[in-house]
Amino acid sequence: MASRAPDLDTLAQGARTDVAGAGSLQDLTSVRARYLGRKGSVSDLLRGIGDLPAEERSRVGQQVNALKVQIEDWVAERRAALESRERNRHLEEHRLDVTLPAAGQPLGHLHPVSHVQRDMAQFFLARGFSIEEGPEVETEHNNFDALNVPADHPARDMQDTFWVEGDFVLRTHTSPVQIRAMTGRTPPFRFIAPGRVYRHDFSPRNSPMFGQVEGFAVDESVTLANLKELLYAFAKHMFGAVELRFRASYFPFTEPSAELDFRCPLCRGDGCNTCSQTGWIEWGGCGMIHPTVLRNCDIDPERYQGYAFGMGLERGAMLRHELPHIRLLYDGDLRVLEQL
Amino acid sequence: MLVPLSWLADWIELPDSVEALAESLTGGGLEVDAIERTGPDLSALVVGDVVEHGPHPNADRLSVCRVDAGDDEPFEVVCGAPNVAAGQKIAFARVGTRLPDGTRLKKSRIRSVTSMGMICSERELGLGDEHEGILVLDTDAPAGTPLADVLSAGETILEIAITANRGDCASILGIAREVRAHFGAAVRVPTCDPPEGERAVAEDLRVEITDPEGCHRYDARVVRGVRVGPSPNWMQQRLEAAGMRPINVVVDVTNYVMLELGQPLHAFDLDRLRGGVIRVRSAEAGERMTTLDGVERTLDPSDLLITDGGGPVAVAGVIGGGDSEVSDATTNLLIESAHFRPGRVRLTAKRLGVQTDASYRFERGVDRAGVTRAADRAARLIAELAGGEVSRGVATATGSTPDGVDEIALAPARVNGLLGTALSRDEIEAYLARVGVEPATESESESGGGGRHGDEPGRYAIPSHRNDLRIAEDLIEEVARIHGLDRIPATVQVGPLVGGGAPRSWTDAERARDTLWAEGVTEVMCFPFLDPRDLDRLDLAESDPRRATLGVVNPIAESHSQLRSTLLPSLLGLLRENRNRQIDRVRIFEVSRVFRVEKEGELPEEDLCVAAVLTRSDQNRLWEAKTEAAPPLFFEAKGIALRLVSALGYRAELRPGAPQPYQHPGASAGIRVGRRVVGEVGELHPDAAARFAIDVPCAVIELSLSALADVPRQEKRFREVSRHPQMQRDLAVLVDRDQRAGELVDAIRRKGGDHLASVEVFDRYEGQGVPEGKVSLAFRLVFQRVDRTLTDGEVTKSVDQVVKMLANQFGGELR
Repeated sequence: MASRAPDLDTLAQGARTDVAGAGSLQDLTSVRARYLGRKGSVSDLLRGIGDLPAEERSRVGQQVNALKVQIEDWVAERRAALESRERNRHLEEHRLDVTLPAAGQPLGHLHPVSHVQRDMAQFFLARGFSIEEGPEVETEHNNFDALNVPADHPARDMQDTFWVEGDFVLRTHTSPVQIRAMTGRTPPFRFIAPGRVYRHDFSPRNSPMFGQVEGFAVDESVTLANLKELLYAFAKHMFGAVELRFRASYFPFTEPSAELDFRCPLCRGDGCNTCSQTGWIEWGGCGMIHPTVLRNCDIDPERYQGYAFGMGLERGAMLRHELPHIRLLYDGDLRVLEQL
Repeated sequence: MLVPLSWLADWIELPDSVEALAESLTGGGLEVDAIERTGPDLSALVVGDVVEHGPHPNADRLSVCRVDAGDDEPFEVVCGAPNVAAGQKIAFARVGTRLPDGTRLKKSRIRSVTSMGMICSERELGLGDEHEGILVLDTDAPAGTPLADVLSAGETILEIAITANRGDCASILGIAREVRAHFGAAVRVPTCDPPEGERAVAEDLRVEITDPEGCHRYDARVVRGVRVGPSPNWMQQRLEAAGMRPINVVVDVTNYVMLELGQPLHAFDLDRLRGGVIRVRSAEAGERMTTLDGVERTLDPSDLLITDGGGPVAVAGVIGGGDSEVSDATTNLLIESAHFRPGRVRLTAKRLGVQTDASYRFERGVDRAGVTRAADRAARLIAELAGGEVSRGVATATGSTPDGVDEIALAPARVNGLLGTALSRDEIEAYLARVGVEPATESESESGGGGRHGDEPGRYAIPSHRNDLRIAEDLIEEVARIHGLDRIPATVQVGPLVGGGAPRSWTDAERARDTLWAEGVTEVMCFPFLDPRDLDRLDLAESDPRRATLGVVNPIAESHSQLRSTLLPSLLGLLRENRNRQIDRVRIFEVSRVFRVEKEGELPEEDLCVAAVLTRSDQNRLWEAKTEAAPPLFFEAKGIALRLVSALGYRAELRPGAPQPYQHPGASAGIRVGRRVVGEVGELHPDAAARFAIDVPCAVIELSLSALADVPRQEKRFREVSRHPQMQRDLAVLVDRDQRAGELVDAIRRKGGDHLASVEVFDRYEGQGVPEGKVSLAFRLVFQRVDRTLTDGEVTKSVDQVVKMLANQFGGELR
């Protein structure tokens, strides 16, 4: 069989064109087979080498092998290009409208008063106060008498009371927790007592139930100045920088006693509906624990003294969310609660 | 208390600014709730000078004036008043100003002369009816001065909230003393002594106290020959400004003096008193009398009575009797001024449901040294205003000594030690002096008076009207409030850090809240009350412990008459209300206490509970809708309940048990932790839903955090993780339709032994291909050991054993 010198350049040209022209991975595979497969052109050439004169075999063999490597490179290059195109096409096809709604259900809502209560607790826990809880149905003794509010004193009228069968009361304030926590304990101690309290007052602007946090500390040299520092820091924690006002007042269980107001954050003191045009918002009461109360808890008032304070939780919640009145918190209207 | 400022000004010099006065009183503990101004608004008017006065060219009865109102040019004004004259000071309204009647003054042409303002009459100023002539001012004020500065019109009234300890402030005198404490001016007490006639009081009357515990002192003055008519205008105006209705001169004087001095008084018609005696005694059981409000009242031995020779004439300190009331026909009077024990008056007033201006003051305690002075002052005013002659002397009797102290010991160190201040002894004593507390003199005190030096305790004399000052701390409060609470420093408390923890009930409640709101449930807070009919709506058995509710003695409404023994009715009520608000999907929870009577006469048990009510949305949302049919609502509730218990640190199982009467019997289960049932999950029974008027399927979760807290919490312990591969086998078994998958899972777990790492149900199917009455349950079994790799043969053997067991025990047939 007569053999001619193979035209390697032509073959290379053709291979290059065919590889570049392969439009898909499938095409590329068949192009590769045409050249490098067992029956491909390059394989034919290699097989034909044996027929060549001896002096040419080595040279042609090298050239054919170089061509084979060259074609493999072109194929690999083309495969990479085709794969990348394929991936991009795939990504393009799976483009989402990310503005459609999220899967899964929306979160629920923590009650605003729970939120405020939690913020308060966080402050006092960090200040070394322990949380103490007491029953909501209380004895007349713990709710009134032990707190220096005897039945025959007009101070009883300061709080409209729900009476419960058995001569019990729905606690009108969290102060009875003072009695429970102090009795049997030896100072020093610091407690807060958050919880719900009840007053016999049901009107559009008032709620018979509201949240309160009581706080008290007893030691040998706790002062009114310490109480002021604590409440300034507390107010700052709850409302940011805020101006406070301490007004002398009367509570049977503290002496001296003070009412605590803060500067209305909505009008900054100019007067608005939130603060009833006074520029101040009543926040709570405070003072130094009355010696009679300490004595009622078997704590020696000659040796120990302490402060106590109590404030409503709703004020904070109402201010935070600019709620116009307290009943919105307790009506259970989801159109309101799910905003907050 | 309503305090007319002009009245207060008679008693003490006031600061120029009412606002400054109010601020000081408020800061010192007498909260000024409101400053009310009555009378016409004169703020737009000014003082004018009539500089020229001449006839009107076209009208005989009119004149034309030029009025200087302090502006650059005088105004030309037409005036019809006959009394206008040059040189007068008058009340002037410029064109455009608002007159006291609310109208705006317009420029007008009167018979071709333009009038640029108005010279006002009394009527135009709203001060009276005089309109024939203009009001000529008696003032030196220059033209242009605001009219309100020179003409006192109306009254400024302070509305003051008096704290329960400061009965002494329920009077003009008391408020004046507080003004003195803040501003230092002297209090001017008017003359009280009456001019006395010849006739001695003893000729008409003697006074006896037979219940000395209830009555500290009783004074009576007699005035004879009065003419009872209306009181003078000035007195009526003051009473009205202070919120009292004028009646007649006698009653008005007793009220007036009570408002002045804080001592309640009562006037009797002397001629209608029998037997010439006033006896103060306690009532007999069942004794009756008709009080001056026309009500016949049954009395109690705890009530203190004023009686005459015939019977009760007044309930002491509370209300008078109708028979001895002063009328227009009265000529001879008895004026009572007494001091009753505060607690007794309070109990009677409470029992009778009557609060009067008198009982209000007696409850808080009156000046123990002011009784006679008030009787004197009233007698003097009556003699002055109603004629008559005051009998000589006071009929008086004394009972027990009133509560209160004469002296209190106080050391400066105690003041500073409690307040955290550094006040000197002199400063402290100066503040005390402002409230009338002076160092006790040596003669009054064995241990030496105040005014000592250094840190020795001093003794301080307490004024008779301050019955609230009993102990050293009371004096410290006086120092603090006059010094000013705002001037007390704020210093950090120094001491050992003790505590800083929260009880389990607190942390559990917090964790429950966090879990539930993250589960898409919204927290609500409900009142603790229960409508007793709700227990019927829940269909609770008579023996159900939740029937043992505690009643509210004075409920706001019948629907709030019990304390909650379950949270469900509140939540179901809110579900209904929110559905009525067109809210489609309602998912709410509450963490709150329920009350349970455990033992009669003891405080109820308070269990901390969580309850949630869930509905499903009618409108499927975009994603969940199309993929697969949502599982029954029960399973959503089950998932939430299990995750809730898990968040609280327990493993719970849901086991069907005895359904609650309000639960769907086929879709409910108890939440079991260990061996205890701590809650319930279930769909609401359609009958219960109907009784609560709920129009949508809903599921309910109930969990007692208190019950859970009784179960010891197991710490989660490490189990070794296997390095060996796991092998998974799926089994589908046909069993009876009623067969519970949970029982099969338990049986498989037991049978699988050490080889079986886990088993779970992944499908439940009935329908085509499954025989009637059967169900196909599919289980995924995962085999894996910690110590070695299982062989295929071992796993196959285990599976075979499981299959055999399912066939034998449950009639299970492999599909």
